[in-house]
Amino acid sequence: MNLTRRAQRLLTEDLPLEDALPTQMPVYVNSIVYLFGVTVLSALVALVATGVVMCLFGPGWYHDSRVGHFVNSLHFWSVQVFFAALLVHMVSKYMMAAWRDGRWKTWVVGVLALGVAVVTGLTGFLAQSNWDSQWIAVQAKDAINALGVGAFFNTMNTGQVLTLHIVVLPLLLVLLVSVHLFFIRREGPVKPLKRMGRNE
Amino acid sequence: MSKRTEAYFRNVPMKPYDLLREGLIVLLVVAAVVVVVAAILSSPDYPTVRGEDVANRQPIAFVETSANILAGNSGIQDYGPPYTPDRDNAQSLFGIAPANWFGVRNRIDPSQDFIIKPLTRLAVLNEDVGTALQAYEAATPDQQQAWLTAYISSLDDATVVDGEVQVAPGDYGPVPTLMSGMLALGRSGLLEGALESSDRLPFNFDFTRSLLFFQDDVDASVAEKLDLLGEQWGISNETGRYPGAWWLWPYTFFYQVRPMSSSDNADLQVGAIMIGFFLVLLLAPFIPIVNRLPRWLRIYRLIWRDWYARSDGGPGKPGGRSA
Repeated sequence: MNLTRRAQRLLTEDLPLEDALPTQMPVYVNSIVYLFGVTVLSALVALVATGVVMCLFGPGWYHDSRVGHFVNSLHFWSVQVFFAALLVHMVSKYMMAAWRDGRWKTWVVGVLALGVAVVTGLTGFLAQSNWDSQWIAVQAKDAINALGVGAFFNTMNTGQVLTLHIVVLPLLLVLLVSVHLFFIRREGPVKPLKRMGRNE
Repeated sequence: MSKRTEAYFRNVPMKPYDLLREGLIVLLVVAAVVVVVAAILSSPDYPTVRGEDVANRQPIAFVETSANILAGNSGIQDYGPPYTPDRDNAQSLFGIAPANWFGVRNRIDPSQDFIIKPLTRLAVLNEDVGTALQAYEAATPDQQQAWLTAYISSLDDATVVDGEVQVAPGDYGPVPTLMSGMLALGRSGLLEGALESSDRLPFNFDFTRSLLFFQDDVDASVAEKLDLLGEQWGISNETGRYPGAWWLWPYTFFYQVRPMSSSDNADLQVGAIMIGFFLVLLLAPFIPIVNRLPRWLRIYRLIWRDWYARSDGGPGKPGGRSA
């Protein structure tokens, strides 16, 4: 098995440029709900950008500096936009039964990304080093311990929380989102459902 | 276009589209919204509750917390894995207790780790505390409990005079001196440092002991004032008027309903329910009824209303549609 040849085939046959960066769309792609996926993606870009700036200055920066606090505010509201858009995106894709015609992998990877996003959000709250972190750490530990995960993940170990939040989980999330996007671009937007009671 | 895409969209009318332009416009709109909202509303940053704050503002609560931990009344005392070996206290569901699977991974002995060890460090600076500590450790466990029980009861009528917690005369042994020492440690701002002392100092990344110290009554009273208790929908709320982790509402909702609202195993029960929901969501394409629901709800008719209008005699004629 030649891995390089398989990769070549994947890119040239499964995802040519016309599919990866399309210049035409089926006419049924004509609703505002189609914009919420890219809204999630835009919020993710904002989260990574503001997160990287906060990483540059260290975890205490946003408590002591007005600029730092503003960047933290950008990060905070990007999270709100991210999850709000994600909710609309997921509900609309569910209502469209968008997993049809072999698109179940896109759905499954998307839901996995949602799970990782929720855990990333939790570690974000834990990493703030303020009252929220203090309270959530002692509250969330019981749920995490009850599930047996507490043996590996300690909500009160700020070092572990911080590295998970700024490295491990974002990498995993970006990886899942990339696979999700790969499937979306490869498969194209799913066709509309046949209307019930119509012989079409 | 790949052969697969070409075959799928055969007979489907296409329209011009600019993916990058659309992406850039949405990105700019999101960035603008975030900048404006952040500039106007800022973000929450409620300060931590430190030992120093509690010792100065609520000295009786500080001493009560310390005495209760020393008496073995801490919520961590017999918590079970991963902190203590009390496996019977681990939350279980249908006889399954996942917390026990991996045993004690982060051993904590509250009375020793939270009280005796910090006081041992303080004894280097304060001879009275050293003497009291020796007297306490030389006493039998029954005697220690008798002193502590009497002292904790006396705190109901305690007063604060010149910053010191005063209780009615009684047989408390060395306990008042030990508690005075803890209060001094708190006031000095050294409590957290004494709790987290380890071989890795001056580096430390783990604040387990500092965070657990006030977790029972002190933290809960602060959380109650901020609407953050479990029965107030807990951690899905945020301090002030800011939106919190509202996406956890389905999770916190199950803590409000029976049997979870009154169960000792609520965390595991709610966790199991949420894992179940997640699996349903994950496998929705394959689960009967769940995968038919979108057809019955007919929301898709709104989303694709332009397309259906075309097929009802509007401009152009739609191509093939999937089942």
